[in-house]
Amino acid sequence: MDTVFGIQFKGGVVLAADQSNARSILVYQNNLDKVTKLSSHSAMGVSGPNADMVNFTEYIAKNLALYELANDGTKLSTKAQANFCRNELAVALRKGPYQVNLLLGGYDEKDDAGSLYFLDYLAALQKVPYGSQGYASNFCLSIMDKEYREGLTEADALLIIEHCIKEIATRFLINQPNFMIKIIDKDGVRVHSFGGDPADT
Amino acid sequence: MGDSAYSFSLTTFSRTGKLLQIEYALNAVANGRTSLGICTEDGVVIATDKKLASPLVDIDKVSKVEMITDSTGFVFSGVGPDYRVLVRKARKSSQAYKRHYGETQPVSQLVKQTASVMQEYTQSGGVRPFGVSLLVAGVDGDGKTRLYQVDPSGAYFGWKATAIGKNYINAKNFLEKRYQDDMELEDAIHTALLTLREGFEGEMNSHNIEVGVVRNGKFEVLTPAQIQDYLDEAN
Repeated sequence: MDTVFGIQFKGGVVLAADQSNARSILVYQNNLDKVTKLSSHSAMGVSGPNADMVNFTEYIAKNLALYELANDGTKLSTKAQANFCRNELAVALRKGPYQVNLLLGGYDEKDDAGSLYFLDYLAALQKVPYGSQGYASNFCLSIMDKEYREGLTEADALLIIEHCIKEIATRFLINQPNFMIKIIDKDGVRVHSFGGDPADT
Repeated sequence: MGDSAYSFSLTTFSRTGKLLQIEYALNAVANGRTSLGICTEDGVVIATDKKLASPLVDIDKVSKVEMITDSTGFVFSGVGPDYRVLVRKARKSSQAYKRHYGETQPVSQLVKQTASVMQEYTQSGGVRPFGVSLLVAGVDGDGKTRLYQVDPSGAYFGWKATAIGKNYINAKNFLEKRYQDDMELEDAIHTALLTLREGFEGEMNSHNIEVGVVRNGKFEVLTPAQIQDYLDEAN
């Protein structure tokens, strides 16, 4: 049911996800943050059961932190982080799979560019210019297919995200009133906007 | 004196705080054929004396400078068979890194990994330390060139230029005089060959030495023909 999508723009990536936490006919909360920061310049939009979502993202984030500690502050590139996630998913697949579908976005100083990676629960990995997970794909992908161009500015990318959110609000059966939007660029990971404040307990 | 009573057990300190087995391993290294390395901003050169016991040995089939990843290489002084074990382990672990991260393992991590293996063999039962010191040339995570030495104890050091094995003291003095911070790779290769020739027993030619070079982020072992070109220039 989770809606996760993202777009690469010139110098960064935008990631967006809905904020509902629900099961069956009950909505637990409407301010869940499903875009988790992984490292200083990368984040992951995650869809799936809450337990796997949290376990997997925390596991990856802490392993990435360990890498930096063990290796003199050397940072892993976005590509390396995505490959690491994929390997963890692949190993767990035949033991106790993580039922998570991800969009991993990051910024690399070396190329002064953002990159976006699509990973699914079967440990598929694909670098994409834009992507989405879940039912959202049915609504968002055609919009992004039509409107995406190389060298988008951050403002352009956000317009496309807004367009996708409007479409979902109009046409998707499940009510998802709140969306968390995060931007990753040379200044790191920052929150652009949210519908519900995750800090509200 | 009393120390020698502790010299047979690797896993026991002597009274004076030494692990004599490691000291003896370093002796094995100091008896090995000379190797040296020089690190410059645009590349790294490592080289070794490949002199063998008899002219009947097919020397071109002997390989002392080995590629570990496409941007790092090893050379050694000491016990050859021990070296081959370390080369295998290093190659395997760097491929495991590639499997996890999709990228080539940076040289500093490869060195830490190898040093960690060598240290294990100084603190386990029923084994002896590796009788080799390694010189590792490669490119690091920040894109810069590096030269490292790894000892049988598992200690590792970064160097601008260094030599190990027989005659290493003279070789290091020679390098100290000639090394400059703004040296270029081509100068370094020439200097490396000159340094090797200093302590060479007999005549040095393109078949009885081996040279490895990190250039433009890639490691390659020079062919005898390439070495001959450099030797010709030196003459």
